[in-house]
Parts: sequence; structure tokens; C-alpha cells
Amino acid sequence: MRTYTLTRGRTKPRHLLGLETVLDAGTGRPGPGQVAECEEILALCREHRRSVTELAGRLRRPVTAVKILVSDLLDADALVVSVTDAYTASDADADERPTTHLLAALSVGLKRKWPDAVGYPKAG
Amino acid sequence: MPSATPRPDDSTVALRSPSRPQAGAPTVLKIVIAGGFGAGKTTAVGAVSEITPLSTEEYLTEAGADVDSLAGIEAKQTTTVAFDFGRLSLPDAPVPLELFLFGTPGQDRFVDLWYDLSRGAVGAVVLVDTRRLESSFTPVSFFEDIGLPFVVAINQFDGAHRYHPEQVRTALELPTSAPVVTCDARDPNHVAGVLLTLVGHAVKSASAGPARPAATTTLQDA
Ligand SMILES: Nc1nc2c(ncn2[C@@H]2O[C@H](COP(=O)(O)OP(=O)(O)OP(=O)(O)O)[C@@H](O)[C@H]2O)c(=O)[nH]1
Ligand SMILES: [Mg+2]
Repeated sequence: MRTYTLTRGRTKPRHLLGLETVLDAGTGRPGPGQVAECEEILALCREHRRSVTELAGRLRRPVTAVKILVSDLLDADALVVSVTDAYTASDADADERPTTHLLAALSVGLKRKWPDAVGYPKAG
Repeated sequence: MPSATPRPDDSTVALRSPSRPQAGAPTVLKIVIAGGFGAGKTTAVGAVSEITPLSTEEYLTEAGADVDSLAGIEAKQTTTVAFDFGRLSLPDAPVPLELFLFGTPGQDRFVDLWYDLSRGAVGAVVLVDTRRLESSFTPVSFFEDIGLPFVVAINQFDGAHRYHPEQVRTALELPTSAPVVTCDARDPNHVAGVLLTLVGHAVKSASAGPARPAATTTLQDA
């Protein structure tokens, strides 16, 4: 099926969604007449929260097309955006970088997962 | 000019979806893994990802050209760009974290995607295959220009001449602050070590003062 048909001719998502925006299943039901891909998206998100990029990869559809379908599902409350973006937690006026606090946590998390991994310069 | 994503390019799309905080939901961090053709990007993502790397497609839009219709795109057979996605959870971190890895090729035509991927990212790893050093120039100058912390990881391919990291630094005209390490992209410990190096470098860059703002770059017209 062509993307044009999948999105019923729409070319722009109605919600601002990033590549790493994470979606959780919501309580609503999608409206009638949704394409099968919407059910696929819902099934995936019920299993595990998923990023826009992961959904597009699993559906083998371009990101833009998936964002359009995800927007429909958000409007129906069938999906909700998970608040997970690291930089939204930091000062809005600051650089959109993760805080040093989060970076330190990432470092510890990586070391715990791979105790044999060595970063450079070697840290004690 | 390519702007940071998402683009409010239409007055009807201007609202971010209402979001609902999920108790205990891990915070997402992302890292970009860039490199030339065959440099080992997919291998590196797969070495540490909890899922088999997914290949995801997005339409390639010409910088500055507005896209009116997907039908139009398809009719013109404008190409798509494909990039890798992998993820891993770090439940044992002091705060629960999930790390997203985006693997992306090093050509100019990916620059638009790099803006999107770089926004809010921890930093980038530029994988270097010393047999094709020149393919690392574009991503290196991109990340340098936008002020995203990056490390260069030299993939030691069998049979390739082994360069000293300092030779690669000189050849790529890297700033002295940028770490250059060697790795085997197939080895999870190596890849995790490269990520640790990047995180350490990102911490240093952050305490050295705010990164330069996403400046207009010379790459846009490349
Ligand atoms: N010896 C060695 N081989 C590697 C290494 N990393 C990747 N390879 C091999 O190199 C080949 C290319 O690796 P990929 O991970 O597919 O590279 P890529 O950058 O994703 O390639 P493209 O997506 O085609 O640009 C594969 O056969 C890998 O097994 C490495 O560190 N050492
Ligand atoms: Mg690949």
C-alpha cells in the first residue's frame, strides 16, 4: 500500500512528535475505519512503550506516515505521550542537553551493565 | 534551512500533545552513532541494544524545499533515508534510564536527520573505518559546528592498516578535546566503553560552559 493511501492523503502529522517521542497505550479506542496499521501500533504499545522511530521500524513505514497515524490515535486517547524526554526536565532556557546529573547516572548505569567496559580516559 | 525538529510548519499542527507523567517511567537519553558506508554502525548498535537493530525510513526532504505531498514525493521517487534504531534499559542506574541509539550514515544528504537526532542528545560517536577516512569528515564537521559532544571510534577492521589514534586526529583535524579511541564494534564491552568515553566527554563539555548554540553551518548547502 502506498503511503498516500495509508494516511488518506495527509502529509503532515497533527501533533509535534520527535523521533524519540515515546508512546504508551491509553484508555481510548481508535475511531471506526482506521487502517490496520493503527491496530498494529496499539498492540505494540500495549506490550511495551515504544518510540516513534521503533514503531516506524517495526511497521516498515516511513516515520512521517507513522506520525500521522499516531496523531490520530493521540486524538482518540488510544495513545498517550510518555513524559521521558531528558531535556524537558532541565531548565527550558538552557541548552537542550541532558543535565550533568543525568549524564552521571548514565555513566553509572552503563558501568553496572558492562562492568568490564573501559571508558577513556580511564576513570577510577 | 533545516531546523531542529519538530517543525511547526503548519498552523494547524502547533500543539504538542498533552502528556501524562508515568510514575517510574525511565528517562530517555539518546546517542547518535554516525559513520561512513560499512563503518560498523549497525554492528555497534546491535552489540549493546536489547532489540535487533531496526532499520527505519524517513523521507528525504531537500533542505529548504517544502514538501507538499507525499504523493508528489512518491511520484518523483524521491528517496528515503534509512537509519538504525536500537535501545537498552539501564534499570540499575541511580535513576531508571533508557538509552536510544540512532545509527546514521555519514553523507551530506543526512544532515537534516542529524539535526533532529542531535537535539537533546547526549552526544555522538563517529565510527571511523581507516580504509575510508574521508567519509568521516562530514559528520565530524557537522557535530563540531552544532557543538554536540562527540568521540571518534576507530574500528579495527581485519587487514586494515592500523593507525595510531593521534594520526587519525591529525588527519581529521580534530580538536584536542575530542577523544579518539579504538574499538571492535562487534564487542559489547568495547562499544559500552566507547559510550562511557562519550558520556565522560559530555560531562566535561557541559562543565566547560554551555555548548555553542546550534549555529548556522556551512553544511546546509553541501
Ligand atoms: N573486523 C571487524 N569487522 C567489523 C567491525 N564492525 C563491523 N564489522 C563488519 O563489517 C561489516 C559492516 O558492518 P555494518 O555494521 O553492517 O556497517 P554499517 O556501518 O552499518 O554499514 P552500512 O549500513 O551498509 O553503511 C559487517 O560484516 C561487520 O561484521 C569491527 O569492529 N571489526
Ligand atoms: Mg548499517
